[in-house]
Amino acid sequence: MYENYKSKLISLILPIVIIIFWYLITEGFHIVNPYILPGPIEVCNSAWDLILSGKLLKNTIDSLFKVFGGLILASIVAIPLGVLLGWYKTLEDLCSFVISILRPIPPIAWIPFSILWFGIGTVPAIFIIFMGCVFPILVYTLDGVKRTDKVLIESAQTLGASDGKVISRVVLPSVFPYVVSGLKVGVGIALMCTISAEMIGSSSGLGYMILQATSRFDPGTTVVGMIVIGLIGLILDYIFGLAQKRIFW
Amino acid sequence: MTIEIKNICKSFEGKNKNLSVLKDINLTINDGELICLLGPSGCGKTTLLRLIAGLEQPSSGEIIANGEVVKKPSGDRAVIFQQYSLFPWLTVLQNVTFGLEMTKKGTKEENIAAAERYLESVGLIDFKDSYPHELSGGMKQRVAIIRSLLNHSPILLMDEPFSAVDMQTRHKLQEQLIGVWKRFNNTIVFVTHDVDEAVYLADKIVILDKNPGRIASIVEVDIERPRRRDSREFIQIQESIVKDLDMEK
Repeated sequence: MYENYKSKLISLILPIVIIIFWYLITEGFHIVNPYILPGPIEVCNSAWDLILSGKLLKNTIDSLFKVFGGLILASIVAIPLGVLLGWYKTLEDLCSFVISILRPIPPIAWIPFSILWFGIGTVPAIFIIFMGCVFPILVYTLDGVKRTDKVLIESAQTLGASDGKVISRVVLPSVFPYVVSGLKVGVGIALMCTISAEMIGSSSGLGYMILQATSRFDPGTTVVGMIVIGLIGLILDYIFGLAQKRIFW
Repeated sequence: MTIEIKNICKSFEGKNKNLSVLKDINLTINDGELICLLGPSGCGKTTLLRLIAGLEQPSSGEIIANGEVVKKPSGDRAVIFQQYSLFPWLTVLQNVTFGLEMTKKGTKEENIAAAERYLESVGLIDFKDSYPHELSGGMKQRVAIIRSLLNHSPILLMDEPFSAVDMQTRHKLQEQLIGVWKRFNNTIVFVTHDVDEAVYLADKIVILDKNPGRIASIVEVDIERPRRRDSREFIQIQESIVKDLDMEK
């Protein structure tokens, strides 16, 4: 228990040092111009304004909606597809070339088409997040299916399970930990894609807020946006970490 | 259920040449008989068991179980593997009733009641809500055996199921297996490389030789059960088998 507190305390030291250093070079001794880097107090003021006006909450919810929209859509496609491709070798051979070519394309590269196809707003952003998440989830799922313990499959078969039952009762649960890992990777990518998509083809969300603030010479808001994105990532990572810990197989 | 093994050959395709694992195996296993397949590693005893189970297909020849040619795995021929094969995400009770669910025998309440009765009889009732990772090796194998018994598989195919447990536990498990076999009258094919185990368990010991795997000899073990390891006839049979195995080398 003591060790646990100790490591938590130690992890707080560096952020505090960074904030003090940040304060000293900006608002403390005015070494750096506030337009180059706003000080912590200015950032706090911006944050307070954004909270009071409700803008921060609205944009955060907006971005989170896109993150989860894209992630859920990607899961709906990638998980069943991954199971099918992992189970039927021929199907995998059929698709592997296309997947290998599409996978390395950065999701951002889909932005021109997403605007062309879906215009500006939430839908193109979700499309880009989908393109970013679908491959990691697919690959993790596929890998999980292939790593399913053969003995468990054969046990189920010799207990009278049909192919369908083997998939639903053995393959799916044994793939579950891999899917969660895939989702954990996916959620990180989704967050990145969301911000990028919002900066280019959107009129709401944290990415849009950051870009708007910069053009209005309001660097405090920019920093607030960046910190909120970081915090969202931290929280989501923590939640998926908890889920992973609960899986004991 | 009778098992007829007719002219079975099995070879695996290698890089340069085909590896012949089993050659011209002919064997009839009578209903309710407990036979042991004994032989050095590499003699194809596990392969023969997997062929009977339907988990592998013979290169030529056929296996007939209960009047039907074995083509694929079925709930009639349960396999108890050397590796632990319980589903890690299910509790002991859920594992044990898995086969009944697959074959849709009985209602849920009936199945649970039956499972509890079986678990009670091998002293595992207190662990019914435990997960496999909380059990010892010997307990896992007992649960695996119960899982097959509860499914009323008339044929039990056991692939060195007790090789990973310590000697005392192994002796206890062998004793329990004999008890179960007497009660349910299953046909049991038991693969082992342990002469002592074979003499203790079997009605008939089929000794296999390797390169390619073939039947070297069949030894009838005509000793009253419960067998005593220190009895003269036990030691005699054991010694003659050990001598045979040495000569083959």
